[in-house]
Amino acid sequence: MKQRKDKATSARPAKPTDAKDAFDVWLQRSLHKLFDEVAKEPVPADLLRLIEEDREK
Amino acid sequence: MASTGFHDQIVAILPKLRVQALALTRNRAAAEDLVQDAVCNALSAHESFIPGTNFAAWMHRILRNRFISNLRKRRDTTDIDDVPSSAFSTEAAHEDRLALKELGKAMNRLPSDQREALVMVVVHGMSYEALAEVTGCAVGTAKSRVFRARRQLEAWLLGEGQEAGTARAAAAQGARPADARGRRTAQRSSVFTG
Repeated sequence: MKQRKDKATSARPAKPTDAKDAFDVWLQRSLHKLFDEVAKEPVPADLLRLIEEDREK
Repeated sequence: MASTGFHDQIVAILPKLRVQALALTRNRAAAEDLVQDAVCNALSAHESFIPGTNFAAWMHRILRNRFISNLRKRRDTTDIDDVPSSAFSTEAAHEDRLALKELGKAMNRLPSDQREALVMVVVHGMSYEALAEVTGCAVGTAKSRVFRARRQLEAWLLGEGQEAGTARAAAAQGARPADARGRRTAQRSSVFTG
């Protein structure tokens, strides 16, 4: 009997891909942990003042 | 009206500028200075911005150029390891904090263009095309920078050596597939589930 290869080959090699995917997920989450707080911090008042003073010129 | 829109756009993009600045400078104080310098440059160059064109790319480019200019003047050698202290919240497990610290150190070792590219794509969700426009390179180059950054971090963090230990453990925790033990779902404090 002929073995059909076509259906079998859609699966990826589990371990290497899983490890890469896991690292990518971890990296993404970790980078967000490192940087998201920075984005959320209030903008320094003097910087906002700088922009507003320019706006009023 | 155009002037009002311009200033509003600057205010709106400030959080992203701060992230970009920190990615480039690796230092909080330097990042704040860089953002302020970039904003000053942008305000001075107001007339050169064409309304309706990509303001974000224009602004990010100004900041980047200012960073490069400052680097040439100062030969900045920032301390590595200036990970935002907020990363070490009391909620994070000890191992999580260590892994983040290792990531911070590894990030600081990357070339600045790779570090910036990775942060802009992963943290800001920027497309490669937008990144290419901001950094003045080809799309392929932008992709390559992100790819190389990821690959280098993986090598440092999951490869040999002291740095690798905690990060490898953290990565392995999350990488373990749901198996027969399946009910042990990833802990909330795991670096993979955040």
